[in-house]
Amino acid sequence: MKSYFTKFYNWIDGRVDLSDLVEFMGKKYVPVHSHSMWYYFGGVSLFLFIIQVITGILLLLYYKGGPDLAFESIQFIMSKVQFGWLIRSIHSWAANLFILSAMIHMFSVYFEKAYRRPREITWLTGMFMFFLALGFGFSGYLLPWNELAFFATKVGTDIVGVIPLIGKPIMIFLRGGEDVTGATLSRMFGFHIAVFPGIFTVLLGIHLLLVQRQGMSEPFRTIEEPGWEKKTMPFFPNFLLRDLLLWLIVLNIIAILAVFFPWELGKKADAFAPAPAGIKPEWYFLFMFQTLKYIPGKIGFFDGEVLGIMLFSFAGLAWLVIPFWDRKSQRGEKNRLINYIGIFVIIYIIILTIIGWIF
Amino acid sequence: MNKDISGKEQFPGTIPRRDFLKYIFGGSLLAWALSVLYPILAYLKPPKQPEVEVNSVKAGKASAMEKDSGTIVKFGNKPVILVHTASGEFKAFSATCTHLDCTVQYRKDMGLIWCACHNGRYDLTGRNVAGPPPKPLIEYRVLIQNDEILISKNT
Amino acid sequence: MDILRKALLSILVFLFCIFWLNNALSLNTVNQCLVCHESNGDKPAMLFKKDIHYKMGITCADCHGGNSKSDDMEIAMNKRAGFIGIPKGDDISGMCAKCHSNPDVMKRYHSELPTNQLEMLKTSVHGKLSITGKENLLQCITCHNAHGIVPVKDKASPVHPSNVINTCGSCHSNAKFMRAYNPALPIDQAEKYRTSVHGILHAKGDSKVAVCTSCHGSHDIRQKSDLKSKVYKTNLPSTCSVCHSNSEYMKEYKIPTNQYDKYTHSVHGIALFEKHDISAPVCNDCHGNHGATPPGLESISKVCGTCHAMNADLFSSSPHKKAFDEHKYPECETCHGNHEIITATDQLLGVDKNAVCSRCHSESQNTKGFKVAKNMRMLIDKLEKAEKRAIDLVHEAEQKGMEISEAKYKLKDAHQARLEARTMVHSFNLGKFQNVVNTGLVTTSEITSEAGLAVKDYYYRRYGLGIASLIITILVISLYKIIRRIEKKQKS
Repeated sequence: MKSYFTKFYNWIDGRVDLSDLVEFMGKKYVPVHSHSMWYYFGGVSLFLFIIQVITGILLLLYYKGGPDLAFESIQFIMSKVQFGWLIRSIHSWAANLFILSAMIHMFSVYFEKAYRRPREITWLTGMFMFFLALGFGFSGYLLPWNELAFFATKVGTDIVGVIPLIGKPIMIFLRGGEDVTGATLSRMFGFHIAVFPGIFTVLLGIHLLLVQRQGMSEPFRTIEEPGWEKKTMPFFPNFLLRDLLLWLIVLNIIAILAVFFPWELGKKADAFAPAPAGIKPEWYFLFMFQTLKYIPGKIGFFDGEVLGIMLFSFAGLAWLVIPFWDRKSQRGEKNRLINYIGIFVIIYIIILTIIGWIF
Repeated sequence: MNKDISGKEQFPGTIPRRDFLKYIFGGSLLAWALSVLYPILAYLKPPKQPEVEVNSVKAGKASAMEKDSGTIVKFGNKPVILVHTASGEFKAFSATCTHLDCTVQYRKDMGLIWCACHNGRYDLTGRNVAGPPPKPLIEYRVLIQNDEILISKNT
Repeated sequence: MDILRKALLSILVFLFCIFWLNNALSLNTVNQCLVCHESNGDKPAMLFKKDIHYKMGITCADCHGGNSKSDDMEIAMNKRAGFIGIPKGDDISGMCAKCHSNPDVMKRYHSELPTNQLEMLKTSVHGKLSITGKENLLQCITCHNAHGIVPVKDKASPVHPSNVINTCGSCHSNAKFMRAYNPALPIDQAEKYRTSVHGILHAKGDSKVAVCTSCHGSHDIRQKSDLKSKVYKTNLPSTCSVCHSNSEYMKEYKIPTNQYDKYTHSVHGIALFEKHDISAPVCNDCHGNHGATPPGLESISKVCGTCHAMNADLFSSSPHKKAFDEHKYPECETCHGNHEIITATDQLLGVDKNAVCSRCHSESQNTKGFKVAKNMRMLIDKLEKAEKRAIDLVHEAEQKGMEISEAKYKLKDAHQARLEARTMVHSFNLGKFQNVVNTGLVTTSEITSEAGLAVKDYYYRRYGLGIASLIITILVISLYKIIRRIEKKQKS
């Protein structure tokens, strides 16, 4: 048995030069410290993305775009296709967990200031992937063409539409017309299965390549704290096997969620029906949605909603370019301000999300 | 595993135990792979009804249907009444009575579509002609292709 | 000769002078048209003397043009000076409208009449073109007469309530005339009217009862298919209620005035007004329109049966028919009521407090009927419960994402069986009723078992999950052990 494997390995090695890669991986070490657990969330996000790709492709086999068939085809997948319910539920659950885990990954990187030199590009690609993930969520939400998704998309694109100057054209571009129609569905479908995955894959490639080239970042305190002894573990096989272990657990969690809390399909969208009560976007948009609700209609000369959207846009932009203005961290000094901002953002998001969820 | 039939330790040290672990690991890995692959393969297998079909339905052979008769055809989740008129035409209507949702039937003696619940009557254009039905029956399109009757929604 | 000529001339001059003088004298007082036309026995001229317009000081010339002050025909009827003669076609109504559509003019005569009659007439069915294609079908004078017009309240008026029937009937009862306009329109309205309660009272000289115009309107008569018509399906109940809901007006007739209120809350009223189902019956569908009379006791089931045919047939062949006739019970109405018919629920059936059967069938006196009623109610309740359980199970299975379309499709049959059973109640035959209920019960039990299996299957998924979880757990533990092993080895 072993000899077959060795032969096969040698055959590949002779052509692709695997030994270099194995040597590289063997030399790669992952720092071990009290915050090591955060390292795993990148891997979990990657695993969830892989699940999304696989289940997404599977769903594509039966899904039919278009307002007269989208809902019916999902119904078909859930009732007629064997394990269709499972695949769809996994896709929906994993999508949400993916965003959650990407968020945790992002905040851990933020608090560890892991974005500082030389990892600015890693941070940027990661952030762009996060925005894309939100795009995945938004576009995928409409695809079942049910009532809730229909109106949430309407409200969501409406919000984009209030941005001065560029808002209206963007809204029309997103909707494929003045209103949310079958054209919007076609667009969202295109974004969801072709445009976003394409860009995402390129970004993911760069991101992973950089992580492998630069290794894991170490937090400040591990360097500063006296008496700290640098501990590491080899990336291969120790860290990778731990990664796999966690992935298995995550997979099991998703399966349990999918079986016990199957994703509901709801009612088919009807453009002429009155909007049902309790239209809410997905939870990861909820804090923004809720904020816009609280902003008064007029603030001075400005329209409250426009101001809110601008505020979020600038906040997002500032967050994106943090490696370039956080000079203190770049110099290797402690920057408490960054921590305070981060804590504020987390508390803000959690509270607004909870409020939005309950009310 | 690590003991032979006589009960003596076959191998000293931990090597046999590792083997045992490896078997467990390998076995469970295989079982896991199967438990993942099985749903996927089952999913890939085309279901009995190979696609969402709500736009048209086959209703059997045209030559097999007697003149001046009617039959109920399942159209998605709704019944449709297919009528072969005395003059040889094929017509199809929603078979749900517009009064209180009973299923209508073709009455040869009356030459029209009749609802057994409250004696509602529709003529062979689907129009409500007598009894309580407030609205006509919705007409479906009938197409005959190579003697095969195809009923589809009128768009 | 010369003298004679002179004498003659002077006589002529004299005579002329006298004539002219005479003429000049009467110039401001006498309507010269009438003077002449009356003297040669002209009928319109005679009638005009009774005309309200004559009394108001309106002259012939106001309508016919010309000069009513001149007794010289050449001058009086000089076309160049504006003599019209007999107005033709639409000019007739136009002539009336000159004053009657002008509020200022009407005010001058202290009139309180409306001034939109011609406008309304033009939009009415009678305002359409006549067969000549040149003028409107009806002119004012068709109904109001040309000369001898009197106020509507005057019994001599052709549009006074006592004369309206004949006035309208002069065309509408004339088959030959009506054929030219609407061959499908019946011509027996007046005849039917005479048989109606309205008509009988009318014949006795009651002018308060409804006549043609009460329901159809006067100047604004529209076809019954016209949405604005007072007798259009959705407008008819309120048209009848104008009189019938007015307790003051109806006082002397001693009949209730709450029919309209009751009707609006009835199943039929709700169907018409809320569901906009114009096949729902309105007043005239049961009472008749021109022959409006409450249906007779024995014919109620026939009247209801025009729509509820099945129920009526079953009732007529049931033992109740004879018994009801003997006791003079008004068939359907006995259990369902008349104007306030509400949706019949299963509650009506049986021997409960709300049930109607027990009104006649008591346990002690009419045991057989009592038992049948009790059984029927029990059966239909059973069927209803079975259907509800089936629906709930199908919904549950559906919510859980199970394939259940087969059972869902069968729900229709169950629903149908229940409806048929409800109809079959009217046979008042336990055997027949039981048959229908049983088919329903068989169907529902099929659905219940199918849906039950689907729901079970849903829980079966959890076993699958359990197995998969077990496998993953073993895999996770063994992987963990392997990691430990590798790390141990690395340390050593």
